[in-house]
Amino acid sequence: MIKIRNLEKIYRTEEVETVALNKISIDVKEGEFVAIMGPSGCGKSTLLNILGLLDDPDNGSFLFNNIEVANFNERKRADLRKHNIGFVFQSFNLIDELTVFENVELPLIYTGVKSGDRKKRVEEVLDKMQIMHRRNHYPQQLSGGQQQRVAVARAVVNNPKLILADEPTGNLDSSNGNEVMTLLTDLNEQGTTIIMVTHSEHDARYSHRIIRMLDGQTVLENIMV
Amino acid sequence: MLKNYLKIALRNLWKSKGFSAINIIGLAIGLATCLLIMLFVLDELSYDRYNKKADRIYRVDGDIKFGGNHFILAVAPDPMGATLKKDYPQVEQYVRFRGQGGLLLKKGNENVQEDKVIYADSTLFDVFTLPMLDGDPQTALQAPNSLVITATTALKYFNTTQAVGRTMLVNNRDNYKITAVIKDIPAQSHFNFDFFVSMATLEESRRNNWVSNNFNTYVVLKEGSDPKKLEAQFDALIDKYVGPAVKQIMSIDMAEFKKAGNYEKQYLTPLTSIHLHSDKTGELAPNSNIQYVYIFSAIAFFILLIACVNFMNLSTARSANRAREVGVRKVLGSLKANLVKQFLTESILISCMALVLALGLTFIMLPTFNHLAAKEIKLDLLSNPWLLPALLLMVLITGLLAGSYPAFYLSSFKPIQVIKGKLAAGFKTSWLRSGLVVFQFAISIILIIATIVIYKQLNFIQSHKTGFNREQVLVIHSTSPLGSKAKTFREEVVKISGVENATMTGYLPTNGWRNDNPVFADPTLDQKKAVSMQTWDVDEQYISTLGMELVTGRNFSKEFLTDSSAIIINEAAAKMYGFTEPIGKNLYYLRDINTRSASVLHVIGIVKDFNFTSFRQQVTPLALLMGENAGNTAIRINSKNIPHLVTQIENLYNKMAPGEPFDYTFMDEDFNNLYRTEQRMGVIAISFSALAILIACLGLFGLAAYAAEQRTKEIGIRKVLGATVSNITAMLSKDFLKLVVVAAVIAFPLAWWFMHSWLQDFAYRTNISWWVFIMAGVVAAFIAVFTVSFQTIRAALMNPVKSLRNE
Repeated sequence: MIKIRNLEKIYRTEEVETVALNKISIDVKEGEFVAIMGPSGCGKSTLLNILGLLDDPDNGSFLFNNIEVANFNERKRADLRKHNIGFVFQSFNLIDELTVFENVELPLIYTGVKSGDRKKRVEEVLDKMQIMHRRNHYPQQLSGGQQQRVAVARAVVNNPKLILADEPTGNLDSSNGNEVMTLLTDLNEQGTTIIMVTHSEHDARYSHRIIRMLDGQTVLENIMV
Repeated sequence: MLKNYLKIALRNLWKSKGFSAINIIGLAIGLATCLLIMLFVLDELSYDRYNKKADRIYRVDGDIKFGGNHFILAVAPDPMGATLKKDYPQVEQYVRFRGQGGLLLKKGNENVQEDKVIYADSTLFDVFTLPMLDGDPQTALQAPNSLVITATTALKYFNTTQAVGRTMLVNNRDNYKITAVIKDIPAQSHFNFDFFVSMATLEESRRNNWVSNNFNTYVVLKEGSDPKKLEAQFDALIDKYVGPAVKQIMSIDMAEFKKAGNYEKQYLTPLTSIHLHSDKTGELAPNSNIQYVYIFSAIAFFILLIACVNFMNLSTARSANRAREVGVRKVLGSLKANLVKQFLTESILISCMALVLALGLTFIMLPTFNHLAAKEIKLDLLSNPWLLPALLLMVLITGLLAGSYPAFYLSSFKPIQVIKGKLAAGFKTSWLRSGLVVFQFAISIILIIATIVIYKQLNFIQSHKTGFNREQVLVIHSTSPLGSKAKTFREEVVKISGVENATMTGYLPTNGWRNDNPVFADPTLDQKKAVSMQTWDVDEQYISTLGMELVTGRNFSKEFLTDSSAIIINEAAAKMYGFTEPIGKNLYYLRDINTRSASVLHVIGIVKDFNFTSFRQQVTPLALLMGENAGNTAIRINSKNIPHLVTQIENLYNKMAPGEPFDYTFMDEDFNNLYRTEQRMGVIAISFSALAILIACLGLFGLAAYAAEQRTKEIGIRKVLGATVSNITAMLSKDFLKLVVVAAVIAFPLAWWFMHSWLQDFAYRTNISWWVFIMAGVVAAFIAVFTVSFQTIRAALMNPVKSLRNE
């Protein structure tokens, strides 16, 4: 599903040049659950952002479903993103002014799903995430675990092929964190590819494979049994 | 999608109620002010357009230079109208107006003085559109002693508008017949009369005198006629008709007349430009000035601009808070175009809310504004078919303009930047925002300076030595009904305790314009040595009662029998004659044009120049002659109990002239009336300036709040490290003060230029002192710091632990 080769990303300020990704190559197959680990500043988030088409690489190739996307323009990237990729963030990134229902509905609006279908889809997903009773609440009225469940619901509502999770349990206590990891595992078992950046060895154990990074390169791959 | 935009817009507004309120109220005040001014300007521009033939009506005006004087006249000789119609086929019709003061009318047993009276030709209704309620427009003003009155007048005197055939006793002497009742003259008319007397009543209208300009003459040109072509023939007309008259009076022909540097020109002034462009001698009523239309339009524009700038500023300042939302939306697949649409929808929504509020505000402010501007403007969105669309367009443009920067700016971020909070768009970083604040304050400072200078000038007019003392002078108008008893009345008045002196005269410095006459320095009546000047008949009490000052020589005195041929001239006249030793010099005053007989007058004194026209004009030559004129009696009083004194004088008047109206004013009020327009405009300008500054402050208030919010962490760290509340307040205020200083540097020269140009309109004017600028700068700085301090002090007082925990 994902094939990157010799990908480079360099951040430049006037005086300093920071190599975030140093000719990195990774493959992820459809249906895989991959964890990316490494110390702060090793380039995991940069990699995730490029995989999510939120940022573009300076060099190298990025094939998404065998299509070269490294040089896609903003419009094409947005289009690919909204139909294929769901995001889960450490800090949830829910829109405070919208209710739970409306937050989850948002991706469907952008993909042009009709109102009736949207309602059905959102309710299904909220039901699945066991957060239906909170549908009319605003994010601030929910616990962290509940907010992340809403964020996961929003990420999957479009039935994306790929979910990118950036430290999804980073802001949660262990019981809420486990709940979220279970959710992701369930989704993976239903066929969704998941790439997750994490600091937590515990969370990483939920994945099939751990990619360890250091200084913008992969240093080790563990296959989980 | 739109529903989603509206929903989030409304919730966002509600979430930050304070800022939304500042934003909406600021914009609403801006829009309301703009709307008010728009209504005012529309009203000003609509003058005389109620006339169906408005675009074909012209007034025949004059430009005459003679005897060292220059006259710009709204009046023409009496035969002008008829001659134009007779000689030039393109002239369809003409009508003349001649003002002769008011009429004394009988209402029951009561005498009523009516001043809105004019003599008019029978062709009045062929020229002006004055709808008739009763009577026949063709015949109404034909016969002598015919009277056409307005509906209000008819109701006042006869309780009906069907008053044709009724009579009115005029000046206790003649019976005038009501021949028509017309609708009241619209407020947007450059003349406003209640009584039109048939011109046939006035013998003067048939004199065929080409050298006396007394008639406001209007012509209607035939459809398609070019006024320029008609004007081009006026020189020939003057040679043909005025030439012989000049020859008769001065024994010179037109060529010699012109060779001596004199000229007479007539030209056509379009009816629709009279109200805003005409300030000539002999106007039917004081007109307005196009300057005010320009000034107010500019103020409206700038106020709207300030309001828009606020809106933009607050929106961009808030953009940092919205950045995460933008990021999330982008991650979820929103295109840049979607976001631009979303933000524009939001800003248009806010401006629509502001418009609704603005309409309400306008409705509330209109009565006060009407009172200030002496107008009768109505907020009627339906009567003006394009007002509502214009407003909506204005709101749309405002919304787009105000929303465009945040819309395009915010939506251009890369999602990951904003989501990661890399967009800490601090207050310091935005050049645009600082630029906009500078712009706002520059305008505010200009308005403050303008306000101070206008007030300074008004104050200057009030306190300037006018050359006479107008305080404590009671003027009794039309003492003429006293007849031969007028002199006795004066003598009796002086005996009343509290009366210092009194003078009987038709001429007062606060009463506007009168005829000029040539006064010759040479017995041959050589017009090269003539000075054209007003000649006032006064008694020997005049100078002392009005507190005028003699520079040299003496006042009129009964002890000198020769004073009947004495003359006192003012300094301006003495200067124009070039006299070094004026006392004892002879001057020659033309008594009869036809026989060219002149009386010899000897100069006995020079009176210090006193202002008898507007401060806009220099003092012109003037002569005082000894004579009796019972037009008014001016009484200098010195009493603490003025009402009692007035009652005593009134009782005396009623005893000597039973049944006559006792009509009086105070001279200082009359004087102030001369500057009513300036005062009115001054008050309006100040009100609008205050509004502009208020809007600017609202914006600054919001911005300061954001600046403080943006720097919450910095403030927290500084406090942990030992900064005091005053340190923090000073630090935050300094940023704004810097902007005010830049604004002042830009505003000072512009303000000086504007106000210098405005003052040029006055012959007597105040100066723009340096302290005006200092004061404006300090006021602006104070307002800025005061506004900002609410936010900065609050921020500085915040518990640092709390602000640091936010991070």
